[in-house]
Amino acid sequence: MQHVRNLLCILFISMLTIGAGSTVSAQDKDNFVYFGTYTGFRFIRRSKTQGAGESHSKGIYMSRFNAATGKLSEPELAAEISNPSFLTVSPDHHFLYAVTEDPLSVGPPLDHASFVSAYAIESSTGKLRLLNTLPTGGTSTCFIATDKTGKYVLMANFGSGSVSVIRVKDDGSLGELTSFIQNVGHSVNTFIQTEAHPHSILASPDNRYVIVSDLGMDKIQIFHFDDKTGQLTPPEPAFATVKPGGGPRHFTFTPSGKFGYQLSEMSGIVDAFAWDSTRGTLTNVGSYETVSPDFKGDNHSAEIAVSPDGKFLYESNRWNTGDTGLGPDAIGVYAIDPEKGTLTLVEHALTGGIMPRNFAIDPTGSYLLAAHQYSNNVIVFKIDSATGKLHKTGNEIKLDVPVCIVFVPVHS
Amino acid sequence: MRSNRFTVCLLFVFAMIASACHAQSGVFYIYFGTYTGFKFVSHSATIGKGESHSKGIYVSRFQSATGAISEPELVAEISNPSFLTVSPDHHFIYAVSEHPLSLGPPLDHASYVSAFAINQTTGKLRLLNALPTGGTSTCYLSMDKTGRFVLLANFGSSSISVLRVNEDGSLGQQAAFVRHLGHGSLSVPVQSSPHPHTILVSPDNRYVIVSDLGMDKVLIYHFDDKTGMLSPLEPAFAQVEAGGGPRRFIFDREGQFGYQLNEMGSTLISYAWDSARGSLTQFQEISIAQPALRNAGAELQISADGRFLYASNRLSRIDAQDPSKIDRLPGTIAQFAIDPQKHTLTELHQFPSGGVMPRYFAIDPTGQYLLVLNQVSNNLVQFKIDAATGRLTGTGHEIKVDTPVCLQFVPEV
Repeated sequence: MQHVRNLLCILFISMLTIGAGSTVSAQDKDNFVYFGTYTGFRFIRRSKTQGAGESHSKGIYMSRFNAATGKLSEPELAAEISNPSFLTVSPDHHFLYAVTEDPLSVGPPLDHASFVSAYAIESSTGKLRLLNTLPTGGTSTCFIATDKTGKYVLMANFGSGSVSVIRVKDDGSLGELTSFIQNVGHSVNTFIQTEAHPHSILASPDNRYVIVSDLGMDKIQIFHFDDKTGQLTPPEPAFATVKPGGGPRHFTFTPSGKFGYQLSEMSGIVDAFAWDSTRGTLTNVGSYETVSPDFKGDNHSAEIAVSPDGKFLYESNRWNTGDTGLGPDAIGVYAIDPEKGTLTLVEHALTGGIMPRNFAIDPTGSYLLAAHQYSNNVIVFKIDSATGKLHKTGNEIKLDVPVCIVFVPVHS
Repeated sequence: MRSNRFTVCLLFVFAMIASACHAQSGVFYIYFGTYTGFKFVSHSATIGKGESHSKGIYVSRFQSATGAISEPELVAEISNPSFLTVSPDHHFIYAVSEHPLSLGPPLDHASYVSAFAINQTTGKLRLLNALPTGGTSTCYLSMDKTGRFVLLANFGSSSISVLRVNEDGSLGQQAAFVRHLGHGSLSVPVQSSPHPHTILVSPDNRYVIVSDLGMDKVLIYHFDDKTGMLSPLEPAFAQVEAGGGPRRFIFDREGQFGYQLNEMGSTLISYAWDSARGSLTQFQEISIAQPALRNAGAELQISADGRFLYASNRLSRIDAQDPSKIDRLPGTIAQFAIDPQKHTLTELHQFPSGGVMPRYFAIDPTGQYLLVLNQVSNNLVQFKIDAATGRLTGTGHEIKVDTPVCLQFVPEV
């Protein structure tokens, strides 16, 4: 018995060591970087085509990114698929899941089913092998995340106002729908908030809750998540709110799981919350305007992320001033108070691109890659680990309508 | 070789005779779908019947030779199984949970669908699994002809979905999802958004027909029974008159014509069905409205010989001064003759349904009896169908069931 226990202990320690080893070695190793794109998506607003009309992208693209040198290789098509506008990778890095926001490559009227596709990632080459494709259970699905176990994919169906959960089988392929919630509600913006529009969905750090940012309802919903069954159920109170008309888009937790930050698309406000993981509640500890009240024009804040060391928060804004057109666009950098979770502005770093809809920080926390939907490029920034500031590296790749970035460390 | 062929032919004839005899004298299990605590809610006010004492799906034994129906027994505890469908091989039954929380609107709670294995000797059901339908207030489900897919109409959230059926009859992956966008008559509150009410495959399994009560449309989709995918056609729908409220669609026995019952407009539309192009061409529309009364037509069935069509009317009188005052009246089953050449409908009779709100009725597999479920009177009322005239005569047979809203027959083995 003692012998078995010793063996288990040794096994456990060696697993830890292997784990730690791979973390250390990731410091100077390559990553596969996958880019989600719009493949011919048109922005349609009140039936008029606006913005980037034609895309020449054909699906998901892959580059190599070296976190030691900051070098990003030319992207290659990794999977032909319609409008893979959001991607997520399983916790074990073996599988990639992509939404097809709209299979017909047009914008609203939001009535076409969205799809989700599962791919196996070939660990040495990064090549993707399609496993299967299923309807998401909604339309204009714009966000996907796995839970912490990798046994479920969570999806926000922006168009039809619902969220859905699909089970992942042992081989990484997609199985049956385990949960479906139809949001019913609205808020004050008569253009986009007449209906519910969930924009992001993610599991809490302990995997016991799911947070849904609903842009149409001005609510951040909190659901109980059962990772044995994949079921979502609303607790009490079931949501936090933002300033009316704000439009909650993306939410992120700090690595410690103590705080959460909500970026609202229309208002450009970041709301900071203390997260009580016992009760499943968000308590506002501060609200921060990322856009100057003097700004005249149309703001669409997009992405939010916290650095792996938990010290800095980044958020991107997309501007349309009407007179001068689009941009100049910036990523706001904020220092996070480790005790209170409050934010202090570090800088607004101009990205030099147009419409940074998405950005991602590499797993080592050394670089930030910003995907510009309108200027069709991905720009590499070095992160100053002391100040959090972004510095241009001069590294940049051209890619048509890039809208999502995910990293997969290369295991050699 | 010749002798083989003859034997096969002979066997086939015997099988036909056997099945015909069986059909005449068979014993069937009747499965009842019910509401288990459903409340009628209109503009947030509870009107109509509040509490149901039903607990799920009930079963009775029905002897077609005598018409005898045994007392129903609970076979599956499940919330609001308001619609049921049976697999073509009779091995499985699928039930929606229209609303798992036993309440009416606001339509935001997921509906579920459950798969049960049927023991055809005892009538007992064994739960296989239950999954979300992908929508809310799912009020109808049916199977495709292969029994490999379940089709669902999600009334609340304006969508239809298709789920794959696994080899063991359990429910698997979602194979298709379509959201309807639009509205019907803006003066009709329920038509401010789409509400698919019925979904069924065409006789050749190549198309799917959806009656959308909110949009005043009968939608037609291509159905691929290899993948379960739905894709829209051109033209993609048949239009119903404004405010009509398409609820139920049924194909005739030959699969060449279709009939659409419109709940609010109290009309019946006759269509020619072009199975090559997948199109519905209207050739008749008749009113079944009754002066000063609200019909709220509910169910539609065609007799076994294909000569008669029956429709149920959930009659009520609305107070002219206060429309929230609704006086529910005994319902009727209307009988229509189907012209054998032109396939047009002619109303023949109205028979009292034997209770209030005949939401559902069905004709037994031998074609001899019509069984009506009166939702508010909490009863099943049996009628004998006259083989020559199609007329209904009450047999005096009545069974008490709380809030019955669906029934399906399964032959006993």
